[in-house]
Amino acid sequence: MSNKYVEMGMRSPVNLTWEVTLACNLRCNHCLSSSGEKACNELSTAEALDLVEQLHTARVFQVNFGGGEPFIRPDFEEILAACHARGIMTCISTNGTLITAELVNRLATNPLVAIQVSLDGARRETCDAVRGDGVFDAAIAAVKLLAATKIPASINTVLTTHNASEIPAMHDLARSLGVSLRVSRFRPSGRGADNWESLRPTPAQLLTFSDWLAKSGDVRTGDSFFSLTTQERQGLGLNLCGAAKLTCCVSPTGHMYPCAFLQSDRFEAGDLRVKKFQEIWDTSEIYASFRNLRIHSCEECTRFDQCHGGCPAVAWHLKNDINGGDPECLERCVTSIADNRLDLAA
Amino acid sequence: MAAAGIKLHPSCRVRQEGFGLLFYDCKGPRLLFAATGTLLPADYFGTVRARDEFPAGTSESQKPALQKFVTQLLEKGFLREQ
Repeated sequence: MSNKYVEMGMRSPVNLTWEVTLACNLRCNHCLSSSGEKACNELSTAEALDLVEQLHTARVFQVNFGGGEPFIRPDFEEILAACHARGIMTCISTNGTLITAELVNRLATNPLVAIQVSLDGARRETCDAVRGDGVFDAAIAAVKLLAATKIPASINTVLTTHNASEIPAMHDLARSLGVSLRVSRFRPSGRGADNWESLRPTPAQLLTFSDWLAKSGDVRTGDSFFSLTTQERQGLGLNLCGAAKLTCCVSPTGHMYPCAFLQSDRFEAGDLRVKKFQEIWDTSEIYASFRNLRIHSCEECTRFDQCHGGCPAVAWHLKNDINGGDPECLERCVTSIADNRLDLAA
Repeated sequence: MAAAGIKLHPSCRVRQEGFGLLFYDCKGPRLLFAATGTLLPADYFGTVRARDEFPAGTSESQKPALQKFVTQLLEKGFLREQ
């Protein structure tokens, strides 16, 4: 990854997260956007299609659709088709419960679509405790339907204290189903903030995961674990936060943010009902502040070149300080465990 | 035997940036930053090209570097032979 070019600023995002609706048929404990009911004033079909045209003009390579549950939107396949007609690659994050054979057959006709099905445990009890009764079986059924096609499919797992010990088993499960595994970082936003203390992995679990990840090169992380990246995974992805530099987030109501975990008024970069996508990307002061963000408190750290201060969103949610450095980076996990051992020994 | 044609891999995209060309492979995903300046337009690899074919105006002194660049793009999978 060439930080020099990234820090020069891109003409537009490489990819972006577009939460097309807040509506969801599940109420997962860790949901980053507290999804459930549809938001008031979500983008209409015409507005969504206009945004696709703007993304095409901006030469955005890929749109990562999330929510909410994207497939709840009646016009979602129309939005997808508009992306594909313009050569925009798409990745859909879904809970899998609305995936049918007919839907999969329709999606499989297009090579520009990839799908991630959320599953939060290798065991039914572990997954359903977070996502709801019956979700494990529904998600597995969806993965099986997808695995039978050419659609690139993956299982997406949010690492929590309850499933941390099951991650290797999830890797095996994904392999046995013929799909890949993607592990995402749990962050304290949305309902994830409400349930942070009960779900957050311990420093020891994060260290164990980091070690395992180093030996599991085929596991994707969506760059969400660059704060834990070991030498073995250097070069596989980002070594800095890509928010406002390589990526950004569009909310269901057309507001733009640096990333999906910072969707609040404090971090609003612009409103697509007021300004064009490219204008917001080019002129937002919030985006400019992220491009100029320097985590000075981390610069003396021996791992600074590997994470550049980690995730600003986690720093914001836990310390109310965007410049404060990631409280759960690899270095701090090691320090935390060492401190605990000293406390026990004293 | 005619030289093989080359073209952008279907899983890849490319666009112009201030420094040159930005390649994206959604299969990784992975990025490649190429400091080509304005030597090659972003849509150059959108159609099949001969390996030694470059835009009009490319000087003889620039061609070896561009040929090496094309070879690297092929090796990294951003381009493929047709």
